[in-house]
Amino acid sequence: MVEYQLLRAHSLEEVLEILAKKKKVQILAGGTDLMVDLHQQDPKFENIDYLLDITDVAELKGIKLGPEEGEIGALTTHAELLTNPEIKEKLPFIGAAAGSIGSTQIRNRATIGGNLVNAAACADSFSPLIALGAELVLRSKGGARRVLLEDFVEWPNQTVIKDNEVLEKIVFKLPRGEYYSSYQKIGRRNALSISRLSLTLLAEVENEAIKNIQVVSGAATPAPVPFRKVNKYLKAKTFAEIDPAAAGEIAADEMVGITGERWSTPYKRPALSKLVERAVKDLLEEAGYNG
Amino acid sequence: MAKLDVEITVNGDKYKLEVGSQERLLDTLRDELKLTGTKEGCSVGECGACTVIVDDQAVNSCLVLTAQVDGSEIITVEGLESKSGLHPLQIAFIEKQAIQCGFCTPGMLMSALALLNTNSNPTKEEIKTALEGNLCRCTGYQQIIDAVEMAAEEWGV
Repeated sequence: MVEYQLLRAHSLEEVLEILAKKKKVQILAGGTDLMVDLHQQDPKFENIDYLLDITDVAELKGIKLGPEEGEIGALTTHAELLTNPEIKEKLPFIGAAAGSIGSTQIRNRATIGGNLVNAAACADSFSPLIALGAELVLRSKGGARRVLLEDFVEWPNQTVIKDNEVLEKIVFKLPRGEYYSSYQKIGRRNALSISRLSLTLLAEVENEAIKNIQVVSGAATPAPVPFRKVNKYLKAKTFAEIDPAAAGEIAADEMVGITGERWSTPYKRPALSKLVERAVKDLLEEAGYNG
Repeated sequence: MAKLDVEITVNGDKYKLEVGSQERLLDTLRDELKLTGTKEGCSVGECGACTVIVDDQAVNSCLVLTAQVDGSEIITVEGLESKSGLHPLQIAFIEKQAIQCGFCTPGMLMSALALLNTNSNPTKEEIKTALEGNLCRCTGYQQIIDAVEMAAEEWGV
């Protein structure tokens, strides 16, 4: 039986104080994953004594995009990411990922911080932020540390966050120069679908060539990772030298290299290959390259 | 376990309550306030039958603890009808026969109301997005979408 005492924090200081003093505390944000697990008596939570509601903590909210750097508070909801005009203009792939999550009701409550800390293998917030090279600010009473998002997840639902830490915000540098992005996702249906495969492509281009590129897997691998071989294939190539289908094949090989052959491989291999091909074609088209 | 003090406004009425740590907003509405229009379907945020409006946003009341919405304004399906009669959304749902068994209807109405409160002239796509978290196993959705369109037109007048 999962039983807990609910604690409500109204400031970041209060959150850190509680985390420092009490043991067996589980943080509650939007609750769209956690409330399901608690309702279903997930044995993972049998040992908790306290549930700490942080949804009222103003310091953990808000989106700030400067000319060069940006930050997203951990309690920012997916609905806010979807409708924020600055995100729409400067980082549309983050909005696209947020919009692909759950339903209107879920997006109104679910937070980006919760999506990252819960770290489901299918979590949709990782790939756009890893493509940006984002870092997480993890704060405890003793101070804050930064962790590269790429290094945050050890295994599905297992991250490097410590019991006395809370995710405060996500920080990143904005892409420079001329850049294009694409977010791709396949689920079994549109609304409320769990990602079967998702990925983000973010490319900086110059003179009809790719200067910098990040293609990052979403649900394709146990922990979200950059497709290093695809990135190597695409980097420094001129548009004329790029074969989108070849990029797709390289990504599919790389995914199978990480996951091994599974029951789902005959479906996922060609699907991922096409998703990467589509993302690369989108990039070339948006960049105005007509072959 | 210690109880928690909560003040919420539901359909315009203020309530001071003592709630348990594990009490969901859905439980408070149905069991404490006897507002049984809000339905419990899947209990895991998939079906939308328990949708209510919290501070202008449609949420699944099965995924929110009552103590988390302390100080909030909540609207349930019981808040639609006024002294002047049924709400335009209710009239449209009846007119378009957007109801069969009726179990999803309170949630559908709340999602539609949250949409129309912020967007009085929605496109069909916007209506579908607003209702994507509400499952209906009877109507096939078309009548529901027609009803929301009708309500938007009537309401706009």
